[in-house]
Amino acid sequence: MKSTDLVLRGILLALILLLGFISNSRAVENSLCFGCHQDADLSRVDAAGKKISLYVSEVRFKSSVHGDLSCSDCHTRIKDDAHSAGGQKVRERVNCGACHEEQNREYLKGLHAKTDPKTSTRAATCSDCHGKHAVYRANDPRSMVHPSQVGKTCDRCHSDKDFTRLHALGPTSPGELFKESVHGKTGEVTCKNCHGTHDLKSLIDPKSSIFRSNLPHTCGECHPEVMQQFVESIHGVLAARGRGDSPTCTTCHGIHGIKAKVDPESSVNERRIALTTCPQCHAAERISQEYGITRGLVKSYYDSFHGLSYRGGDTFSANCASCHGVHDIFPSSDPRSKIHKDNLQKTCGVCHPGASANFAKGKIHTVASLAGRDISEKAVGWVRLIYIILIATVIGGMVIFNAADWVRKTVDRKH
Amino acid sequence: MKKYVRMTLNERVQHLNLIINFAILVVTGFALKYSGATWTTPITDVPAGMTFRGLLHRLSGAAIVSLGLYHILYMFLTPRGRSLLVDLVPRWKDALDVWETLKNNFFINRPPKEIKMGRFSFREKFEYLGLVWGTAVMTVTGFILWLEVEWLKYFPRWTFDLFRAIHFYEAVLATLTILVWHFYAVMLDPDVYPMSWAWITGNISEHEMKLEHGLHLERLEAEERMKGSGSTEDLPTGQQSMFAGEVNEERTSVRRFTRRLREFNERMRNWPGV
Repeated sequence: MKSTDLVLRGILLALILLLGFISNSRAVENSLCFGCHQDADLSRVDAAGKKISLYVSEVRFKSSVHGDLSCSDCHTRIKDDAHSAGGQKVRERVNCGACHEEQNREYLKGLHAKTDPKTSTRAATCSDCHGKHAVYRANDPRSMVHPSQVGKTCDRCHSDKDFTRLHALGPTSPGELFKESVHGKTGEVTCKNCHGTHDLKSLIDPKSSIFRSNLPHTCGECHPEVMQQFVESIHGVLAARGRGDSPTCTTCHGIHGIKAKVDPESSVNERRIALTTCPQCHAAERISQEYGITRGLVKSYYDSFHGLSYRGGDTFSANCASCHGVHDIFPSSDPRSKIHKDNLQKTCGVCHPGASANFAKGKIHTVASLAGRDISEKAVGWVRLIYIILIATVIGGMVIFNAADWVRKTVDRKH
Repeated sequence: MKKYVRMTLNERVQHLNLIINFAILVVTGFALKYSGATWTTPITDVPAGMTFRGLLHRLSGAAIVSLGLYHILYMFLTPRGRSLLVDLVPRWKDALDVWETLKNNFFINRPPKEIKMGRFSFREKFEYLGLVWGTAVMTVTGFILWLEVEWLKYFPRWTFDLFRAIHFYEAVLATLTILVWHFYAVMLDPDVYPMSWAWITGNISEHEMKLEHGLHLERLEAEERMKGSGSTEDLPTGQQSMFAGEVNEERTSVRRFTRRLREFNERMRNWPGV
């Protein structure tokens, strides 16, 4: 037998022994810890006088993704009276970043890594979302970050009304809204799909997935065709340029509580389009003034046959989107617009088969007025004036005539 | 008590037809303009209610236009229609009647002067002309709105908007006229209160004739005297004249109506076919 062979065998034996020793020593060490920490009543009182449980379930820890690690892999330094001397003062909490470097780097860029100046603690730490001893892989249904659990995990803070108010987080119960939403009901879409995970950023951070101009792209991850239409539309272009009053996806669809458009509760339901969805901006003076849009758009629609019938619940009657489009809205001057003069005949023809070229001519959004610039507005304004005078005179005359007749006949009868 | 034919059965059916279709048009029309109002909820809260409303409005419109056409034929082709037409023409005397009525009503004539009016008082003539005018306007504008695509092949859009406005305001005028002018005359007027029954029975009493149509009554009585017969009461059924104003049998017209229906049924049963 060659000596090299012997050496190799020796190394192999040493490795096996070492491995055995390591695993053995881990088991020994962990059982040492669990000797005390298995006690469900084990607790200590922190500086604020709050009781903190020190119980760790051995079974759950063993089943976790970290079950093979030793306690001291994470709890590197523990020093207090109860533990053996020689330990060092804990300066840092358990540092996951020691192993999970990349995630830690991302986390430190994110909003949850920010430190609360009052308490000098981070907004949320690893364990707030992943748990402490019972950490599982994200695709394990037991994991706090499994799609089925994410909502609950985020809700621990974000649906706590006092907490959200204290930290001015805005929506007080996004989780409840989301649960009822079309996204929530899929069971696949969760908070993290839109908000991101470790590097989750603030609403006002231009890098945030929910920053105004980034929203279309965030939604576009799942709705790419709609996104493509929208970013080219007048709304999309203006939103991308940072116009705060230009709509993005959420302006019309809602935020956490987005519903399918066939749902009567949906903010883009057919019955709402011309009542709230578009008018929320287009009935506003500031919008029409700023962008030079015809005034009285909504009012003129409500006065038209389309608007009157629509308001009565007619589902065949045209609403805003019927003529202007949905995600692909352009100004009438744009040849791509459904209401561009070259396309209008076709647009009208959708509901009015046989609509002539002449059909599509003339102002649509007219408001009756004697001072109107459009001939239609003037004509209707005059008709209104003449008829109101006529009605007041004729009917008023009849009322007076009849009243006098009644009085005379009644008086005569008494004699 | 003597009664006088005011409306023949044919005319009463025309009137009933007008009542029903006019009411439907008023309700279904204003339900569009005021679709947010509480009273429209039976239409707006029903699935496809608004669509049905539009259909019904057009259907009733078509019915009223047909009625109008029938009425034109009736007025020109039947002897009774022609006699009604002649009596409906406004004359100078109507203006004088209005004047005297006003003087009576404002207590200028003390005691009130008795005004003898013809077969149709100024009130009725005014209303009839208003009805003819209103129906014409509503028919023309209504068809333009209905046949939008056709109309806009030849005329600019502003004309469409114009006729749409006219259709609405004329409707307001017509509805208020019925409520104020017609309902006063046939219901609230102390002479007929609570209601003139002529639209159901077809008759009015001699007393009502004297009050409202004095001149006409005198003429009828003169004609009667010339014929030498005191009354037509004893004439056998079927020989009574169709001409309104002739003294009618002392039988309720409701009974006559049912009898006519029975006769009609009988005739239909025995109808040999074309």
